Amino acid sequence: MTEKSDERMAIREVRLGATQAEGGTREVSCVIGGERSLPFSERTPGRLLVALEICDDPRFWPPVVRDYVGDLANNTDEWARAAERTYGADLVRLNFTSTKQRGFNAFDAIAATTEAVLAATARPLIVEGSNEPELDSEVFRRCGEAGEGERLLLGTAEADRYRSVAAAALAYGHAVIAQSPIDVNLAKQLNILLRETGVPQDRIVIDPYTGALGYGFEYTYSVMERIRLAALSGDADLAMPMISAPTDTLSVREVREAAPADREAMAVAWEFYTAYAAFVAGASIVCVRHPLTVERLKKALEV
Amino acid sequence: MAMKALDIYKHLPKTNCKRCGYPTCLAFAMKLAIGKADIEACPDLDPDTKTLLGGVTRPLVRLVEVGAGERSIAVGEEFVLFRHEKTFYHPPGIMVQVSDAWSEDEVRSVVETVKETVVHRVGQDLVLNGVAVKYESNRPDRFAEAVALSGGGSSLPLALIADDPAAFEAALAAAGQYRPLVHAATEENWEALTALAKRYGCPLAVRAAGPAELAVLAVKCAEAGVPDLVLDPAPLSLSDFIATATEIRRAAVGRTEPALGYPLYLDAGAFGETDAALAAGILKYAGIIVTLPLSPASRGAALTLRQNIYTDPQKPIQVMPGIYPINEPGPAAPVLLTVNFSLTYFTLLGYLEASRIPCYLFIADTEGLSVLTAVAGGKLTETLVADSLKKFGVAELVDHRFLVIPGYAAPLSGKIEDATGWKVLVGPRDAADLPGYLEKEWKA
Repeated sequence: MTEKSDERMAIREVRLGATQAEGGTREVSCVIGGERSLPFSERTPGRLLVALEICDDPRFWPPVVRDYVGDLANNTDEWARAAERTYGADLVRLNFTSTKQRGFNAFDAIAATTEAVLAATARPLIVEGSNEPELDSEVFRRCGEAGEGERLLLGTAEADRYRSVAAAALAYGHAVIAQSPIDVNLAKQLNILLRETGVPQDRIVIDPYTGALGYGFEYTYSVMERIRLAALSGDADLAMPMISAPTDTLSVREVREAAPADREAMAVAWEFYTAYAAFVAGASIVCVRHPLTVERLKKALEV
Repeated sequence: MAMKALDIYKHLPKTNCKRCGYPTCLAFAMKLAIGKADIEACPDLDPDTKTLLGGVTRPLVRLVEVGAGERSIAVGEEFVLFRHEKTFYHPPGIMVQVSDAWSEDEVRSVVETVKETVVHRVGQDLVLNGVAVKYESNRPDRFAEAVALSGGGSSLPLALIADDPAAFEAALAAAGQYRPLVHAATEENWEALTALAKRYGCPLAVRAAGPAELAVLAVKCAEAGVPDLVLDPAPLSLSDFIATATEIRRAAVGRTEPALGYPLYLDAGAFGETDAALAAGILKYAGIIVTLPLSPASRGAALTLRQNIYTDPQKPIQVMPGIYPINEPGPAAPVLLTVNFSLTYFTLLGYLEASRIPCYLFIADTEGLSVLTAVAGGKLTETLVADSLKKFGVAELVDHRFLVIPGYAAPLSGKIEDATGWKVLVGPRDAADLPGYLEKEWKA
């Protein structure tokens, strides 16, 4: 095999975060991707990353996590600091859940929170902007601008709403999460749309949308394997690293209906199994919400 | 390489004598071609032809049965590397480990848990499969006692884990007739263990570091008369297991190394990360997984992951059609029509439960098709809706006559009104919009 065709069949590398030398303020930046074969068949230490998700409005966050983190939930930058320093996450994913409330217009707070969280953490940051298409353009502009030069991973671009996030990524030099609903062809289509918008291929991370364990996870698992196989056999439009966020696992029936004393263990087990399986299927970054899951995943990736 | 049925047929005697158990030589050839028959069943072939055909027709991954009776487990007989290519057929047997150095009560308690654990999920009962007894006492009689204490294999399949042939002698004398898995034959003890496994007709695990060494040892054991083997690649780490298991499965389904065509064995307790090991084994080709006792949370998650991975991708899990009350609905609650595709059901359920809006989910039998496909393919029809309304007695549950149908079923709205006499409201296409829609539009 020539070096050239070898090159063609590798997963693209995506760099997240920018150090001072790279124009940002991060202590470290991360490179994901670069694999040339199936997950876990080659040792790529440091390239499988665990992100802990936090939010700016805990009313829209799973109770089982709020119970565990206590007061941290009301202080976004302290929560971010703990995610990295106390819980050992490789990355922090900041969700602007405040945009879910009716009549949201606190756009200034978006920029301020982004800046505070960037100051509180030394590692690359993932920012999940708004959940409301009407707010997208303003929210992404604000958090994108606040993180200029830091090479954030901005989410989430979807087939019917990707322009605002793509514009913010282009304007301020960030990478983008491209999410499509559990389908190889839709994932590919969205990547092509983003490319046409001008987002460079090495700044796209595929999110195949992760169903919860027992609630559609089998589809996720197979679609991730298929995306990875297509990329390795030369499909450049799918040759991006993947991110998986099994956000629904903490609200499945088994967790909600567990006895109060068992709920935490159930939530962590459910989240862990889903997250670890996502790594085996090909995810480079897995985002979880329970701090205890982070520690277990980090240990599991080391053995 | 695999041989086509017609090529195999050319080598058969073409007598249609039926002594192989198939009506014709061609039928036998077709079974051989897909690895579902054994060439040895033909009484008329000369040894050379048998060797020739044996090499290309043996099962890709041999079906190995552990245990006897109702709860015995069969593992192996897989055809593909990825579940989306076809499906995975035989879920790994999960066996919980006890030690012969434990007290009687400790052993009994694990055995009872394994026997009684049942997780009910979407119409299936998920269970743990057996008990693995580990030899740690250095006293063969004690090992035999622990095996007897674990039921001897009469009710649950057993794995016997030891390295000393004397321990196996004692244990098999007590439980050999129930086909326990003997773990493990190694380069040092394989002759003694093969003789024992052969005498009792037991499946035998073979342990060696890496695929090449395993293949050599497996051939020796098979030639010594033990056909039912399980391979333990003695992984150094979890990622080593995933890489090696993938290599072995690839060699097996590609027929590049027939001596690797056996189910795999994984000791999930070996790396100190039992949950991760269980997940890795389930995802990547383990046939038998031995684990330390599990918490209820880990047990539920592991069994659910196994169910997910071994779901036929061409035939998704279907939800039982019927009427499902959500958030304790009363007679004024909305009735929401949907299909019995499990993903649709779970998605709707998630949003509706979170919304806390009381309602009835009314699931019609579209044979597991999604709304879009069921409408396009004519599986969701006004007749089906009318019949199902009657069958599930929906009219008796509510005091109104409004039916909310999925957005993608809008073209059927008029026909459903005519066929049922109910007033049809067209709901949103996306489950995420349903709570908002109900808040705004539902005024029964």
